[in-house]
Amino acid sequence: MECAFAITGKDFVLIASDMSAGRSIIQMKSNENKITPVGPNLAMACGGEPGDTSRFADYVDRNLRLYHIRNNFPLPPPSAASWVRRILAESIRSRSPYAVNVLLGGFDTTTSKPHLYWLDYLGTKADIPYAAQGVGMYVTLSTMDKWWYENIERREALDVLNKCVDEVKKRVTIKFDFNCVLIDKDGVHSLDLKSQDPIAELEAKVAAMKPSDPEPIIPSSDAPAIAAA
Amino acid sequence: MARRYDSRTTIFSPEGRLYQVEYAMEAISHAGTVLAVLSKEGIAIAAEKKVTGKLLDLSLAPGGEGMGGEGAEAWMGGGGEKIFLLNNNILAGLAGITSDANSLVNFARNRAQQYLFSYNEDIPVELLVQRLCDMKQGYTQFGGLRPFGVSLIYIGWDALYGFQLYQSDPSGNYSGWKATCIGANHSSATSLLKQDYKDDLSLEDAKSLCLKTMSKTMDSIKLSSEKLEFATMTLHPETGQPLAKIYRPSELDELLRTLELGGTKEEQIGVGEGTGGGGGGEGNVAMST
Amino acid sequence: MNAIIQNLSTPSHLPTTEEDELKGYGNLDEMGRIKGMQIPRVPDPTAFLNLYTDSMSSNPEAKIKLAHGTTTLAFRFKGGIIVAVDSRATAGSYIASGTVKKVIEINPYLLGTMAGGAADCQYWETYLGMRCRLYELRNKERISVAAASKILSNIVYGYKGRGLSMGTMICGWDKTGPALFYVDSEGQRLKGDLFSVGSGSTFAYGVLDQGYSYDLSDEEAQELGRRSIIAAGHRDAFSGNTCNLYHVRENGWEFIGNYDVSQQWYEYEAKKKAAREAASSEMAVEV
Repeated sequence: MECAFAITGKDFVLIASDMSAGRSIIQMKSNENKITPVGPNLAMACGGEPGDTSRFADYVDRNLRLYHIRNNFPLPPPSAASWVRRILAESIRSRSPYAVNVLLGGFDTTTSKPHLYWLDYLGTKADIPYAAQGVGMYVTLSTMDKWWYENIERREALDVLNKCVDEVKKRVTIKFDFNCVLIDKDGVHSLDLKSQDPIAELEAKVAAMKPSDPEPIIPSSDAPAIAAA
Repeated sequence: MARRYDSRTTIFSPEGRLYQVEYAMEAISHAGTVLAVLSKEGIAIAAEKKVTGKLLDLSLAPGGEGMGGEGAEAWMGGGGEKIFLLNNNILAGLAGITSDANSLVNFARNRAQQYLFSYNEDIPVELLVQRLCDMKQGYTQFGGLRPFGVSLIYIGWDALYGFQLYQSDPSGNYSGWKATCIGANHSSATSLLKQDYKDDLSLEDAKSLCLKTMSKTMDSIKLSSEKLEFATMTLHPETGQPLAKIYRPSELDELLRTLELGGTKEEQIGVGEGTGGGGGGEGNVAMST
Repeated sequence: MNAIIQNLSTPSHLPTTEEDELKGYGNLDEMGRIKGMQIPRVPDPTAFLNLYTDSMSSNPEAKIKLAHGTTTLAFRFKGGIIVAVDSRATAGSYIASGTVKKVIEINPYLLGTMAGGAADCQYWETYLGMRCRLYELRNKERISVAAASKILSNIVYGYKGRGLSMGTMICGWDKTGPALFYVDSEGQRLKGDLFSVGSGSTFAYGVLDQGYSYDLSDEEAQELGRRSIIAAGHRDAFSGNTCNLYHVRENGWEFIGNYDVSQQWYEYEAKKKAAREAASSEMAVEV
């Protein structure tokens, strides 16, 4: 019983997920974070079989971090999505498959483009501008169909996202609380959906961080092409 | 117990040197020269083929007259002895023992395909270089194994760092360059390149610098497709995707004529006969190119 | 080359003799690691096992009745952690025991609760105790509750789908203060302030949630834990007999007491009745 959705915009991706955890009809926790950052500009919402979800997120996170450490740059979102898809496709053909469904959102710093991927436990991958997983799929896809448009700005996208949250609260019998992240060129930021203007808060936070920021871990695309002569 | 040490050919000498690796590098410094020049618009690479004698039938060999017919892609034109396409975005020029080189090329192509299978993206240039060097290093450390007698020059493009030029040697060391050279006369060629290289070269400049340095380095003054392989790595003007082009013999001869470096058939037949089949001893060159 | 390297790096003295196999103890090898479980040699061991076992009276014909049915609870508050459990073990519709210890004392600072398969919980939590002690000896400091629960979670996840049945809470006090984790055989591991596990957990939640606050006093908290188990023991057929109560403080856990469920229940009923009578007599006076 879970619910996650995501929206891409001009230069960002928004991902929201419910925070419930429990066994059958009993909710044991209502503040479990299900959105894992798996790279400097990449995050993943995981739903499905309890236990598998957090382990799969860990597995992806650590492998992508290993890639980053080995090669000095992170795997760009399209390649990361292909890799995750392959892991799921291999997993379903194994003795103990991961029963997880994934929304993978990221910002590609080499091409300056946002990406969103919808993946399921069978190994299906779809590259789409907005997506939903879990029970929320039945009520929020039409909401996003109606309100989303290409190159949507942050505040408008957040409005759409809030419409989806409202719709889930209105029409799905299970009570959900949501958390949300925004991914852009500066990284993965968590948004407080309850605050008046989460985007303004985020902008203030990023602006405050900028001057003291150390050198970025990821080499920018205009770094010298030659290692050492 | 004694067998354990016998089987290990790669052990430190009392002076702290690895002779097997040094011998391998020495073998390469007699091999056909490979030379590459990097520019912002693309990279040019040229490789010297050692002519092994006029009785050798090359008509069906890769890059021979019978190959690269109608509909062939740009990289299918020539090469096959010294220059190879490792992946869509990476070409390599090899100097050393041909059979070792073939095995390395096969390994590299496999690793590049594995990466494509995993990530649905062309392998970044340095990563492929690293994969090959990891393997080469392994052969300098494990007992009973012989190092690869091959140096490589890699030219390639990826989205992250653009055009890149690398060189690797039998020890598994690799480094990035603006222009470099391996094989026979590599030190004199490198100093020539050092004099003439400028940071704002165009692709045409790079091609010309590459071939001109080659002509000064090689024994014969007049160059031709019989003794040379040539390739470029550029970006496709419309798609912006990497475009590897290995020159056909006819295309290379035409380029050599415009640069006034030779390129006529009659002259190189003369050269081939005159030298009696390349620089070093006949047996040696058949194995090492 | 890999084959060559493998050849060179594999030690020639593989343990093949009987003598070598005799090292270690039970399921443990000489290094104290789990060697592995014996599993029926059939294509699907889990389905095979399900044919012959009866869990929660779902398969009454089966001869192997699994000890199931429990109420356990634990919650964090300003004075530490309260752990309360019942003591009934049922095998099918038969009460196998009324004096089961469902709190496993892993070490003086860590408690584990038992719900699901009694043997699974006992075995793996005892093993966890061993791992925690080894951690202490190697690192010269106590293991954190987070790390201990992760060890357990990693183990049971490795057996996922093989029929393990556990729902446990790992409770303790470490550098971060009181900490509580829920770990189950699905591989789920949750950090939280309040959990209840077992067939009677719904009834326990009903009392617990209504009375819970972080700022409870020690006495109030102990009473809340006890009251919740009594409530579940009364309503849930698979829970009952007695309630065991523990309190985890900075200096380790303390066993508070053992309380008879029905006796307590009637005391609570009598108190409730007396309170109501007192209230109505007050009302009468006011009138």
